[in-house]
Amino acid sequence: MTVLDKVAPEGSKAGERTSPRPTFRHRLSRWDVKVSPYLYIAPFFILFGIVGLFPLLYTAYVSLFKWEAGSDDPDFIGLDNFKELFADAQFWKALTNTVSIFLLSSVPQLIIAVLLAALLGARLRGATGWRVGILLPYAASLVAIGIIFANLFGPKYGLINGVLQTIGLDPVDWQANRFGSHVAIAIMVNWRWTGYNALIVLAAMQAIPKELHEAALIDGAGTWRRFWNVTLPLLRPTLIFITITSTIGGLQIFTEPKLFDAMPGSNNGGSTNQFQTVTLYLYQTAFQNADLGYASAIAWVLFLIIVLIALANFFITSRIASAPAVKVKKK
Amino acid sequence: MTTLQSGLRRSVATLGKPRKATYVVLAIFVLGSLFPFYWSFLVASRDNGMLTERIPPFVPGGNFFANASRVFDTVPFWKALANSVIVSGTVTLTTVLFSSLAGFAFAKLRFRGRNKLFVFIVVTLAVPTQLGIIPLFIAMSELGWTGSLTAVIVPNLVTAFGVFWMRQYTLDALPYELIEAARVDGCSMIRIFWNICLPAVRPAAAILAMFTFMMSWNDFLWPLVVLDAGNPTVQVALEKLQSGYYVDYSLVLAGTTLATIPILIVFVLLGRQIVAGIMQGAVKG
Amino acid sequence: MRALIPVNKVVGHVRTIRNGLVLALGITMTALGASACSGGGEQQPPAAANPNEHVDLTLATFTEFGYEALIPEYERLHPNIKITHRKTGQGGPYHEELVTKLAAGSGLADVTALEEGHLSDFMDKGSKFNDLSKIGPADASPDRWLSWKYDAAKTKDGKLIGYGTDIGPLAMCYRKDMFKAAGLPDDPEAVKPLFATWDSYFAAGADFVKKSNGKAWFDSASQNFNAMVNQLPEGYIGSDDKLAVENNQGIKDAWAKVTDAVTKGESAKLTAFSNEWNTGFKQGAFATKVCPAWMLGVIKEQAGPENAGKWAVTAAFPGGGGNWGGSYLTVPTQSKHPKEAAELAAWLTAPEQQIKAFQAKGTFPSQVKALSDPALLSYTNDYFGDTKVGALFAEQAKKVQKPQYKGPGDGQIQENASSPALQAVEQGKSAADGWNQMVEAAKKITR
Repeated sequence: MTVLDKVAPEGSKAGERTSPRPTFRHRLSRWDVKVSPYLYIAPFFILFGIVGLFPLLYTAYVSLFKWEAGSDDPDFIGLDNFKELFADAQFWKALTNTVSIFLLSSVPQLIIAVLLAALLGARLRGATGWRVGILLPYAASLVAIGIIFANLFGPKYGLINGVLQTIGLDPVDWQANRFGSHVAIAIMVNWRWTGYNALIVLAAMQAIPKELHEAALIDGAGTWRRFWNVTLPLLRPTLIFITITSTIGGLQIFTEPKLFDAMPGSNNGGSTNQFQTVTLYLYQTAFQNADLGYASAIAWVLFLIIVLIALANFFITSRIASAPAVKVKKK
Repeated sequence: MTTLQSGLRRSVATLGKPRKATYVVLAIFVLGSLFPFYWSFLVASRDNGMLTERIPPFVPGGNFFANASRVFDTVPFWKALANSVIVSGTVTLTTVLFSSLAGFAFAKLRFRGRNKLFVFIVVTLAVPTQLGIIPLFIAMSELGWTGSLTAVIVPNLVTAFGVFWMRQYTLDALPYELIEAARVDGCSMIRIFWNICLPAVRPAAAILAMFTFMMSWNDFLWPLVVLDAGNPTVQVALEKLQSGYYVDYSLVLAGTTLATIPILIVFVLLGRQIVAGIMQGAVKG
Repeated sequence: MRALIPVNKVVGHVRTIRNGLVLALGITMTALGASACSGGGEQQPPAAANPNEHVDLTLATFTEFGYEALIPEYERLHPNIKITHRKTGQGGPYHEELVTKLAAGSGLADVTALEEGHLSDFMDKGSKFNDLSKIGPADASPDRWLSWKYDAAKTKDGKLIGYGTDIGPLAMCYRKDMFKAAGLPDDPEAVKPLFATWDSYFAAGADFVKKSNGKAWFDSASQNFNAMVNQLPEGYIGSDDKLAVENNQGIKDAWAKVTDAVTKGESAKLTAFSNEWNTGFKQGAFATKVCPAWMLGVIKEQAGPENAGKWAVTAAFPGGGGNWGGSYLTVPTQSKHPKEAAELAAWLTAPEQQIKAFQAKGTFPSQVKALSDPALLSYTNDYFGDTKVGALFAEQAKKVQKPQYKGPGDGQIQENASSPALQAVEQGKSAADGWNQMVEAAKKITR
């Protein structure tokens, strides 16, 4: 059977057939090509319709009301919730906290993840153990993390302050000090997520053909230059990927600040809201203050902020590590 | 062969061989990763008082099995484990399957609205999930699923992250030529997906499976709201261990240690898959 | 054209994958099918007209109420009723879940426990709860309970939304050995004058700090402040349901006294129930503690066996008496069997049952008859030096005055406005700034 006349890009009309074939099968095949993509993405969109879109629209609707949980007759107040939100000092404090914790966690995390992946990419003895070992924190139960880290970072009796004092430094009030609390929470977040991101980068790094490294090496490039000019540019799509997911995840940080508070179960984010993130503020408004209208407004504003920052991040990351210095020969 | 040439050859041959420093740095990271687990186990193997010691002991005590059996007495832990396995296992399978399908479509198939729909998926990642609890609970009530595992499984059947991730990998891992060759051989789309795409994206699928399983296993907020004490998942059962005016930390941490064991098993099972798959990718040209 | 990948290798992989997928799909289908059939849904049969028709009731509680043995007993007495008991570990998540289910309009148990601190949040949602004085059995009359406990669950229009379960009458616990070392009297009778009023309490504290070279008198400022505010005739919110904190002289005075004590070093600056607070017990970080009945178990657990006999409790409390904690059993309107649920709630909160719960889990009864029950009066606690704590707290319970009106948001102000503000003062903020922080937060909660 000749192959040449059958090689046609998908979606285009098939040419004349030289051998007789039932047209039904032919049409079925074209139908298969046209419709399959929509069928394949359907499960996600159907599920999202119920689980994602409905809550999203519902929240948008509720944000226009003054609605207290359990009340049967909410008042329509239009955009008043949003007006109040923009004048709300606690919201801006939470937003600053969120951005601060986000930067303190994401930036070191991504750098360390890439470096870790580079180390793990080597031909290690016991490679599986090392690679899986760094993912272990992701397996930890959140309950355990809360207990352990609250214990470690205790201002009075915690182990970390104990160590600091032994080496002659002053103890830090990890709870009361605003920046200190951000650092502690960032450490909690990084502990949990760095291995996760490192593994993603590792998978991408391993996909880079060895021949490129060898060629660069023969051209006289040292380890660092190879990394900068060969590895990084080819990692660009993956770096963009983890930047976007970390940005979105980082701006939504909720569990760690909630667990870190000395008052168990508190949604305050500290005695002066010093480490309350926007999501925690949202949760407090909805489930403690039972003010669902206002909480919905917070949710929507946060959503828009995340989209904006993720977009900005996307453009920034696209600029970095842009033009590859080594030509990638496509086989 | 000149000395320069043989020198270069040696460099190329040792490409990828780790230096001693690499092991040291990695050891530091792995120790840092393990420390909190060890600490939990320490507390679980002693008693509540350990956390209040001025200088805590660093060696495990002998109470672990006593505390562990108390866990089983206090909450229906076997049932919780079974429920979590069912939920996480199902969610992992469906997420990997549907994400690979959608990832394949977005990466390699051309259809109208492809780019817009993909951007839409990425945008959905930005939606804060906490507020969705109330409308989702309403939906589950309407469907009559509250209290059953279905309510925990269905909302997690496929994730935007999964689709994003599989598309990413499929773009690189699956050359067009393969697909076209298969089309030429008369394969239908679904056969191309099963026979060609899936094997090619196996390492990414294994990684996604591991991530999804772990995320589902540790999911806490939603199951707490929608399930009840008789039918809990592991994390919900752990919450009940914290009952009372004071928390018995050694009991709770014994529970969390027990809850982590199944994940470690999954690690062992899937870990080799991932490493093997990653190495396979390295050989591929 | 050479194939780019050997097809037979791919097919070999595929067979394993395909088998795996088929297996997976099978499991998925089975799991979905099995789980849809199993587990308790909220489907309940319509309210039975026939008293012998089978009725399913759900009961939801948090922490430990001591009902484990009582449930089967009730089921034996009423063979047509089956009770499912849902327990949540901590009060915080429990009440947050309550809000969710109230908002969703379904999911609440037939008998839903409600804690005293959160009562105020639900009092203005009285329409969501049944009036127990109307649908409850006749023997659940008001005089069965301590009047202040009973009255606190009445809404403004006289609806009774909950039957009282337990209470937390306040006494003062103290470290005998630390008192002795600082030259203070340590006998439970002898210390009573020290704890007569808040002024004498804080004065003794300043004295103690000097004599013990800087040891703290109490664990946390907010622990004392909450007790002080609860004793006032008017609390944070006036009877008109408007925020009254700025004009409330009683609250201002309490604030001044407590923050003054903090500057004198009397506070150990710990956050109640936190990790470090637990450690503080063991390390002997403070000498006295505001002690509701349920705190004894906490102290015993946290201070540990090495401190047995060092802690003591006395039947005195600054300002007379007070109450912290305790719960109610409510019957939400979501319930499909309100009458049966109310009967169950009334039975569980009867004196006989509450004594049994006390013996099981130490929850202190709020029923008048139970307070004179010999089982309660003879109950001793060996950790606290074999003191007759049952009788002690019964005596304290009678000292509580009429309940303060708790307007909507009161519990939240205590938890999210005054306690964090006092914590901030302990962490270095000035008393004036702390006051402003509290007022701002309180305004936000009640807006």
